[in-house]
Amino acid sequence: MNKAVLIIAFLVTITSNSCRDNGDQKPTLIPDSKSDYTLIVPEDFPEMEIPPNNPLTKAGVALGKRLFFDPILSADSTMSCSTCHLPSLSFTDNNAFSKGIDGKSGRRSAMSLLNLGYNKNGFFWDGRVATLEDQALVPVEDTIELHNNWDTLIEKIKQHKEYPSLFEKAFGIQSVSSIHKGLVVKAIAQFERTLVSSRDSKFDKVKRGEATFTPDELIGFDMFFDKSPEYKDAECAHCHNVPLFTTNEYFNNGITEAHDLEDFEDKGLGAITGDRFDIGKFRAPTLRNIELTAPYMHDGRFNSLEEVIEHYSSGGKYSETVSPLIRPLNLTKKEKRQLLAFLKTLTDTTFVKNPEFQAAVYN
Amino acid sequence: MRNLLILTFLSIILMSSSCDNNPQVEITSDVKLNFLANYNSELLLLEKEYLYAGDMPIKFSHFNFYVANISLIKQNGNAFDETELVEIDFVDFPHNLNQVDEAEKGQTIQINKVPVGEYDGIKIGFGVPADLNRTKTNDYGPENPLSMASHYWDGWSSYIFSKIEGKADMDFDGAFETNAGEGLTYHMGTDDVYTTRTLFENITLKENETLELQLNLDLKKLFLMPNPDFDQNGDGYLDIENFESVHAEDRLVIAKQLMNNYSEAISLTE
Repeated sequence: MNKAVLIIAFLVTITSNSCRDNGDQKPTLIPDSKSDYTLIVPEDFPEMEIPPNNPLTKAGVALGKRLFFDPILSADSTMSCSTCHLPSLSFTDNNAFSKGIDGKSGRRSAMSLLNLGYNKNGFFWDGRVATLEDQALVPVEDTIELHNNWDTLIEKIKQHKEYPSLFEKAFGIQSVSSIHKGLVVKAIAQFERTLVSSRDSKFDKVKRGEATFTPDELIGFDMFFDKSPEYKDAECAHCHNVPLFTTNEYFNNGITEAHDLEDFEDKGLGAITGDRFDIGKFRAPTLRNIELTAPYMHDGRFNSLEEVIEHYSSGGKYSETVSPLIRPLNLTKKEKRQLLAFLKTLTDTTFVKNPEFQAAVYN
Repeated sequence: MRNLLILTFLSIILMSSSCDNNPQVEITSDVKLNFLANYNSELLLLEKEYLYAGDMPIKFSHFNFYVANISLIKQNGNAFDETELVEIDFVDFPHNLNQVDEAEKGQTIQINKVPVGEYDGIKIGFGVPADLNRTKTNDYGPENPLSMASHYWDGWSSYIFSKIEGKADMDFDGAFETNAGEGLTYHMGTDDVYTTRTLFENITLKENETLELQLNLDLKKLFLMPNPDFDQNGDGYLDIENFESVHAEDRLVIAKQLMNNYSEAISLTE
């Protein structure tokens, strides 16, 4: 009898279990225990796409920050990323062309690093690399930038009195021999993803109802976004849309006259894709903190925002690939002033003074 | 004892039968919607020169639009039952005259597990329906078509439903000069310009067979203009030399006509 009861109980148990709907058997989600860094972002910002193989961690961001500011990255230990990307200038350097360790000038202006973690459309002015990690690989060996080589740099890092333990904390490596360039650029990319706007520009405050535009700023705002037919459409937001004030798309904005596309000295995106219809196109930079990032355009040809506005008002110069959005705006002096007043509301001094983004003193 | 065992086995069989939560399994197949762009019945290639009304040379650099609430429809008495295929998606034709092979492929949206059967047509919305148009780009993850900042216009509190950009040689001097006002930018949005079209066609979706539907869009037809206020040339098309730019709020009538023209411009081949 007891045996029979056992058999019955066994069979009933099997049958009962088989009744469970597979839908209830959700896969167990293993929390990413490595991701312990909370990114504080403005509420109207999009979701940042962070690669699953490089989650933000406190130790990783701290290591990335240290590397970003450390001249160990250059061959002669005189320059770091921060030499051309200064926090006080929204991570630009006020130069048309940045100079590398050998005193050689590059051919393009240093781009602002503000909010670049949101970019999913290629890095540099010409979009030549797809990820922030890949971007960080380039300047170290570029002969007109840090002019180092990765093998030498990695050896120096391995010999450093502090870096090995910082890499261990950030990436859980078991030995110094595991340090490689892939981890260096991961750490730098982690730090760069934290370079997000504060919510303290006047524009953001006005949006939240905590401040009001002056009459000039308000009309400039209207022109920028073409809010009403009462004021001219300055056509700005097509390429510099909210909330980042860039769409990160590539445009030929008519700054270079060329009756033959081959006449473009710097072919921009066209040199990367090999497509002649991309010649003269460059990635639209963010206009957040634009007041701090002179000179302007990929080659720093305009020293002031007044010159930039004058260019767009004129309708630009002819070339085959110039965007149809570039057309004569015929802005009056007053309208130019109003547009400028609005652009200055995008200045975010809290961001540039954020202690988390400043160089620290290390031993 | 023996009876007890028999009873138990019967109970188990009954319990096993009661486990079947889904006795009627719906038979489904996949559907592929292939969008292909033409200009005046010729394959559309960006940067290629075509002729507009009055033989005006024209070329395009952007042509894209949102599609929404795409459904297969089936007549049921005086009404139609709808089987939704797509809630929202973005159709873009980015290929230029050096990319003929890619352009010929068009853009395909694949929908899996659609109930097989006979349908009487397909319904398509052009633009972003009002409920979704109340949302903003930051409401969506990076892969969602509604997350694109380039297709939201804060000034209208609306998505840009469709973008057509290009240039026309309005003075017939052989050059397309945006700095001489020859750029064309038509950006349509706001709830008023959302439009739908139902294409009636016998559509049969069979088991184990992917159904491919080709949707052809003739870009030239988007410029059809029945309103003489915007067609003073009297050729049936928008006077692009006078209305080279459309932003919905200031030229809503034109924007609405261009979006309505999607109904005219689309055709279906199975």
